[in-house]
Amino acid sequence: MAVFCNSDELHHVMDMLWRRIKDDPGMSGKLVEAKLIVQFRYRDPEGTLTIDCSDGNEMKIIVGPTRLKPVIEMSMKADIAHEFWLGKVNVPMAIISGKIVSRGPTPKALALLPVIRPAYTLYPQVLQDAGKKSA
Amino acid sequence: MLPFTFYSPTKIVFGEDTAYGVGDILKELGGSRPFVVSDANLVAAGVLRAVLESLKEAGLGDPVIFDQVPPDSDLDCVRSASALARQHGCDCIVAVGGGSVIDTGKAANISLVLDGDIRDFEGMHAVPRALAPLVVLPTTAGTGSEVSAVAMVKNKDEHTKLAFGSYYLFPSVAVLDPKLLMSLPPKLTAATGMDALTHAIECFCATTTNPASDALCLESMRMIFQDLCRATMHGDDLDARSSTLIASTMAGIAFTNGGVGIVHALAHTVGARYDTHHGVTNAIFLPYGMIFNMAACAHRFAFAFRSLCAALRAAPEPVGHWFAGASQHDSQAAEQLIEAVRQLHRACRLPTRLRDIGVPALSQDEISELAVVASTDSAIMFNVREASVEDLEYILKGAW
Repeated sequence: MAVFCNSDELHHVMDMLWRRIKDDPGMSGKLVEAKLIVQFRYRDPEGTLTIDCSDGNEMKIIVGPTRLKPVIEMSMKADIAHEFWLGKVNVPMAIISGKIVSRGPTPKALALLPVIRPAYTLYPQVLQDAGKKSA
Repeated sequence: MLPFTFYSPTKIVFGEDTAYGVGDILKELGGSRPFVVSDANLVAAGVLRAVLESLKEAGLGDPVIFDQVPPDSDLDCVRSASALARQHGCDCIVAVGGGSVIDTGKAANISLVLDGDIRDFEGMHAVPRALAPLVVLPTTAGTGSEVSAVAMVKNKDEHTKLAFGSYYLFPSVAVLDPKLLMSLPPKLTAATGMDALTHAIECFCATTTNPASDALCLESMRMIFQDLCRATMHGDDLDARSSTLIASTMAGIAFTNGGVGIVHALAHTVGARYDTHHGVTNAIFLPYGMIFNMAACAHRFAFAFRSLCAALRAAPEPVGHWFAGASQHDSQAAEQLIEAVRQLHRACRLPTRLRDIGVPALSQDEISELAVVASTDSAIMFNVREASVEDLEYILKGAW
């Protein structure tokens, strides 16, 4: 059974998580410095989240479809995203096996993994605040 | 044990004169209008003769030949190749050459079959469907590209390497004909062989390795240590050529399923910036990368060295001497493996310092910049030990 009941719930949780990342200067500062537009595309349920740091000043979080052209696009099942934020995904293995599909200069996104690692500890609280029972 | 996926769909055909069978192989794959990718030196040296004869005998007409692949293929080359293939209505590709040629064949195949610019498909698993049949004939024994799902293409403007990874990039068939390597000069034989050894050693210790890759790595290491010197010094020794060619392919299958590591990350970075040869650059970084990784995988190096001792202690000199006996202590046995790598490197008469291959003296800022780039290279994510920018700077300084 999928972790997220529907797209609204998925969007709600991911939006809440990224807003907390944005509120953390340690993480958001380095993400903004990278000046990337990264788009996450989810399936089961469907969802799209775009993180736009292209102006080098501010992190913009766009939930749902957008006309912005991402530099990097990462596609995966929503369940994989959930496991990722719990720190349970071996990212290299997930990429090799195709569980995560990346389009664009993947290394630039991978370089940001250590930056967002502190968010693993935020995610269980986000789930709880969003009314999800299991972490 | 960690879960893993092992996938290697490329059919391998090995043997002397197997290049004469390419025409039949293509017909079996449904090809009717072949596009042959190679480089001008190989064409001039007559290395394509067997392939072209075979295509003619199989009734595949006059193939379209693109022989303008440079040593380090780039986006312009790929775009030119695919435009030519499209212009002539080609429906299958034969790549005859080293890693650069084979990677060009793979990347050109993307543009041949799919709409859009080649850059639209940069990334991992970004190619959405099957491509045209691709038959590859390696003329070096090192890159493993003949059995890998990846094509690396240089972006000259940005001094970076773009990675295209997809299961659809696996060649349909790899034809390993050792006779195609007979004209490979000693330096390139040694350099590409050290590239293969780097694949085997890095994969054996990568975070994503698996038992199937491990077995391939160990046998690949054995064959390279045993025969690389001979293939380098005696290029007409078909047994040595065969051994290193098969070893390279085995290491290629291994790292495709198990990853590489810090040595490749550094070699990609330095190669993209200073146009150094990938194999030589790997060879230079290999002992440094192994020393760095010792803290995380001395037991793995020790295991490999003990296995190699069992297999090679009776090998002719100098190889038998390098593997005369292994220490009982893991750290010492691991150091023995690193020393054996150094001995092979020296025996093959390859440069041992970056300064010897055209890398200028670097300022601290330049070293830092290179280290930052290497820290974001996709190869480094498989490395057994996490490397900071400072760690990479230290290795760069040491290797210079």
